[in-house]
Amino acid sequence: MELLRPSSAAEAAAALGNGSVALAGGTEVVPLMRDGLLRVETLVDVAAAVPRGVEGTRIGAATRLAELEIDPQIPQALREACSLAASPQLRSMGTVGGNLLQATRCWYWRLGFDCWLHGGERCLAKDGAHREHAIFGNELCASAHPSDVAAALLALGATVRTTQRELPLSELYRLPTADDRRTTTLAPDELILELEAPAPDASTYLKAMDRRKWAFPLVGVAAARTGSGIRIALAGVAPIPWTLETPAALDDATPLPGTAYKVEIARALARRAVEHVNSQPSS
Amino acid sequence: MARLIRTEKEVEGRYEDVWIVVEEDALDQWPAGPLTTVGREVPRVDGLDRVQGKIQYTADIQLPGMLHTAVLRSPYARARVTSIDLAAARSARGVRAVLGPGELDVLAEQPGYVGQAVAAVAAETFGQAQAGLQALAPEWEVLEPLLDPDDAVRRESFVSDPKTYERGDFERGVAEADVVVEAEYRTQVVLHNSLETHQAICHWEDDGLTVYISTQYIWGVRDAIADRFGLAPDRVRVVCQAMGGGFGAKNGPGDYTAIAAELAKRTGRPVKCALTRREENIAAGNRNATIQRLTAAAKSDGTLVALGGEFVNAIGFSGWSASTEGPMKMLYACDNVRTVQYPAKLNLPPMAAFRAPGFVEGTFALECLLDELAAKLDIDPLELRRRNYASSDRVDDRPFSSKNLEECYRRAEPHWAKRDEVRARSDGPWQHGIGLASQIWYGGGGPPSYAWIRVGADGRVQVVTAMQDIGTGSRTAMAQIAAEELGVPVEHVQVSLGDSARGPFASISAGSSTIPSMGPAVRSAAADAKRQLLELAAQRFHLEERVLEIKEGQIVSSDGGSWPLTEITGLLEDGQILGKGSRGPNPAGMQVLTFGVQVAEVAVDTETGEVRVEKIVAIHDVGRVINKLGASSQVEGGIIQGVGHTLSEERIVDPETGSILNRTLDSYKVPTIADVPEIVTDLIDVPDEHLTNLGSKGLGEPPIIPTAAAIANAIRDATGADVRSLPISREEMLRALREAGKRERRGAPAAV
Repeated sequence: MELLRPSSAAEAAAALGNGSVALAGGTEVVPLMRDGLLRVETLVDVAAAVPRGVEGTRIGAATRLAELEIDPQIPQALREACSLAASPQLRSMGTVGGNLLQATRCWYWRLGFDCWLHGGERCLAKDGAHREHAIFGNELCASAHPSDVAAALLALGATVRTTQRELPLSELYRLPTADDRRTTTLAPDELILELEAPAPDASTYLKAMDRRKWAFPLVGVAAARTGSGIRIALAGVAPIPWTLETPAALDDATPLPGTAYKVEIARALARRAVEHVNSQPSS
Repeated sequence: MARLIRTEKEVEGRYEDVWIVVEEDALDQWPAGPLTTVGREVPRVDGLDRVQGKIQYTADIQLPGMLHTAVLRSPYARARVTSIDLAAARSARGVRAVLGPGELDVLAEQPGYVGQAVAAVAAETFGQAQAGLQALAPEWEVLEPLLDPDDAVRRESFVSDPKTYERGDFERGVAEADVVVEAEYRTQVVLHNSLETHQAICHWEDDGLTVYISTQYIWGVRDAIADRFGLAPDRVRVVCQAMGGGFGAKNGPGDYTAIAAELAKRTGRPVKCALTRREENIAAGNRNATIQRLTAAAKSDGTLVALGGEFVNAIGFSGWSASTEGPMKMLYACDNVRTVQYPAKLNLPPMAAFRAPGFVEGTFALECLLDELAAKLDIDPLELRRRNYASSDRVDDRPFSSKNLEECYRRAEPHWAKRDEVRARSDGPWQHGIGLASQIWYGGGGPPSYAWIRVGADGRVQVVTAMQDIGTGSRTAMAQIAAEELGVPVEHVQVSLGDSARGPFASISAGSSTIPSMGPAVRSAAADAKRQLLELAAQRFHLEERVLEIKEGQIVSSDGGSWPLTEITGLLEDGQILGKGSRGPNPAGMQVLTFGVQVAEVAVDTETGEVRVEKIVAIHDVGRVINKLGASSQVEGGIIQGVGHTLSEERIVDPETGSILNRTLDSYKVPTIADVPEIVTDLIDVPDEHLTNLGSKGLGEPPIIPTAAAIANAIRDATGADVRSLPISREEMLRALREAGKRERRGAPAAV
C-alpha cells in the first residue's frame, strides 16, 4: 500500500479514484480498512490539500469537530452536533468533511455480512435485529446514517464545494437503488473542500442515545429558523441524513417493528427543537 | 492443630460436601470499629505504580523468542468443518505450528456457537499468525442452530438437569392469599468487558511449564494444566502479578491456555495466546439471559404466603446453571415456596460466572415483583419487606452467623423518606421517583487458605502467599491486616503474591471470598510472628510475655516501657522470624450470608424514554470492613456495572444465524462516566462474631445485586410504568409507558 501526500487540491483529486482513497482524520477510513470493508491500494493524505478553519460562514472541510464545537462563528446546531458526536479523542481527529461521508453503523454491514448494501440479495436487518435502524427510506436497506453533523448542516441549508462543483448538501446524498447502492453522489476522484453554512436566526440539535455520551444517535434532530422559516433534519433515521419537511411528516414514517419507538422519540425531539428555535430572538 | 472435618463448601451459590483439613482459629476477634489501620481509608499500596504504568500485566509480558497465536473461531452457530488446509497455514510465512480441529479437546470439529475455537496458528508475529489463519480457508457445512430458550426447554435441550425446589405447599399458599401478582421478567446477556482480555503465555522449561496468565485462580489453573499434560502439579508454575479485570470470567484456564501450552510444547518456544477485543466479546463468557415467570401471594397485611417461579436460564452452549431462584428461596420468610429452574442449552456463546451469577438476575425479578405486590396491597415497599423479614435461614433451617439487614433498612429510612420531595421535582415530561431493593448473597469464604510472614532484621514485614489480586486491592487489605496484628505501620509491610511457586495455597478470588478466606490466614500468620517477637523481647528485657505488646512499631510493656521493634529484630542479623497461618473453619451449623439495600433516585423523560439515574445509596452488611476506601471503590464499581446492566448493555444476536452483532465497544454500550449517578456508600461495619478471627465477609459481588431492581422500582414510582425487561432501553421504557397509559385510560389505577 502506498501513502501520498499531495500539497494541493488539484494534485489530490488527480491522485484519487482507481483504488485510491482520501484520508483525513482517519477515524472512519482506518477502521474500515482494518475490517476489510474498504480495500485500498493508495491512501491520499489530504491534510495539505483541503482547507482547515472557519471564516464567517465558510468552513474548511478539514476542520476538526473539536474546533467547530468551540468556534463562536458556528451556528448552535452544528456546535452541539459536534460536541455530542463521539469521544473527545475522535472529535480531535475527525474532520467535518470526513464526518459527512461516514458509513452506516448497521451491524450486518459493519461485520461484512452479504447484505443488500454490500451487494447481496436482501437487507438482513429488516427481518433481523434492527433496533438501531431506519424509519424512513428503508424499503431496500434499513441502515441508518449516523452523522450528527450532517443533520445539523442539512437543517442549516449548507452547501458543499468540491473539486468539481458546488451543490446543496442534500444533493450530496442519494438513497441507494438496486442498480447503484452508493449513498453519496461524490465521484471517486472528487474531494470535498469547503462548506458554506448560512447563519440562521436560531438553531439547535437534540440527540437521543443509549447512554449520555459517546454513542451514535438513535435519533438526532436538528432545527434551524431563519425569519419564520424552519428547516428540520434528522440523523439515525434513514440510510442517508434526512430532511423533514414538517414535524407532521413523521406520520409518513415507515418504521420496522423494532424501530417504531424512534418515531415517538423523533416527534418529541422535533417538537422541542421547534419550540426552542421559536423561543430564541431573531438576530 | 490440624483437624479433618466434613463440611459444605460454597462458591457463588454452588455447594459441595468435602473433607477438608482445617487449622484451629484460636485468635479472638479485634474489637469492632476502626483500628489503627484496619477499618480506615488506606490508599492502594501499589496505586502509584499502577498509574505510572509500572505494574506488569500479563498483556505486558514479552519473553525472548515468544510466538503469537491467532485462533480460528467458528463464524457459524452450528456447523461442521468439511475441509481445512492445515498444510497451507503451516507453510505460511512466519508460521511455526498449527493445530487443527480435533487436535485438542478445545478445538472443535463441529462447533456449537459463533466464536468456538476450531484451529490455532502460532507465528513469529501476531500479523503472521492472522495471515496463517487466512490460509486455512475452512469450508463449512452449516447446520440449523437452536437459539430460542423456551424452544430449548420444550425440546429438553439442557446443560444439566432441571432443578425443582419446594418448601411448604405453594398451591395452598396461593389459595389462602388475599392478593396474588404474577409477572414475567426477562434479563439480557451482558458481557464482562475486562480491560485486559483473556490471555496466557506458556513456556516449557526443563520438564515443567510456566504459565503467565490473567486469572482469578492461579491454583485452579495449575491443577487443570497439570492434569491436561499429566504433570505433577508442582511442575506447573502459574504467575499472575496484576490483572486487568475478571468479574468471574477468569476462574479457569480457558481454551487460550490449553492452546498456548500445546503450541509451546510443539515449538519449544514461549507462546502467547491473547484474545482480541472482538474475540473477547464473543468467546470469553457472559452473564446468561433469563426468563422468569413469577408469582407472589400475600395476605392483606402483607404477609407473604406463597412465592413461586419458573426460571429459564438461557445458558448457551456450555457453562453452568446459576441459582436465579436463589433470592426467591432465601430473601424472605415465606412458608410456601416452589421454584423450577431450566438450564437451556443453546447454540450461543457459553455463560461464565459474572459477579453474583444468578442473584443479579433473580433479584431484579423478585424485587420488582415485591414492589408490584406492594402497590396492589397499598403497603409501603420498605414496610412490606420488613413484614417478611427472615430471621433465620429458611432453606436449610439454620441460624445466620450474623444478619444486620434490619439495620440496613433503618439506615435507608432517611433516603426513602425523601420520596415526596423527589417526586415533587417532576417537571413536564421529566418524572422523578425513588425505588429500593434488598440484597442477599454469599460471601463468607472458607478454608483452606494459608499465609506466611517473614520479619527481618530491619523490622520490615513480608506477607508471602500465593493468592492473586484481581484488581480489587487485595494486596493492600492483606498489608493492613498484617500491619494491624504486628503493630507496625502499613508501609513496613510488603505483600508477595501471584505466583504458585512462591507461597502456600490460597483461595480463588471469586464469590466475594478473598477477604473472608485470606484475611484470617494472614492475621493468623502475623499473630504467630508477633508471638515469636514478643518471646524474644521478653527474654531481652527480662519481662513476662503477657505484659508486652507491639504498637506503632514499638514494643511496649504494661508498666510503660517502650523500645523500637528494631531493638529486637536487629538482633536477628541474617536470622528471620517466620510466622505461618491458615484460615480456620466456618461456623458449624450456620448460614453465612451478606445483606444490603440500595435506594435509587431516577428521572424519566416520558416522551423520549430516557432514564437518568441520579443517585444510589448503597447500604450493605458485610461484617468488618478492612479498607474503607477500597470498600467504597468496590461498591462504586458494582453499581456502575449494575447501571450498565440496567440501562444500556446488551449483547445482540442475529435471530436467524445466532451471530453476535455487537462485538465492539462502540456498539456494546457500557456506561460512561456521564452515566454514573451520585453514589453514597454506607457499610454497617459490624464484625460477624461467629466468622473467623476477623468477622469480615466479602464485598465484591453484593453491590451489583440490587441495583437493577432499585432503578426499575424507582422508574415505577416516577411513572407508574412496569419495566420488566432488561435493559430498560428507550424502547422498553416507551413500551412500558404506553402500557401504563392504556391501563390508566381503561380506568384501572396505575401502580404508583
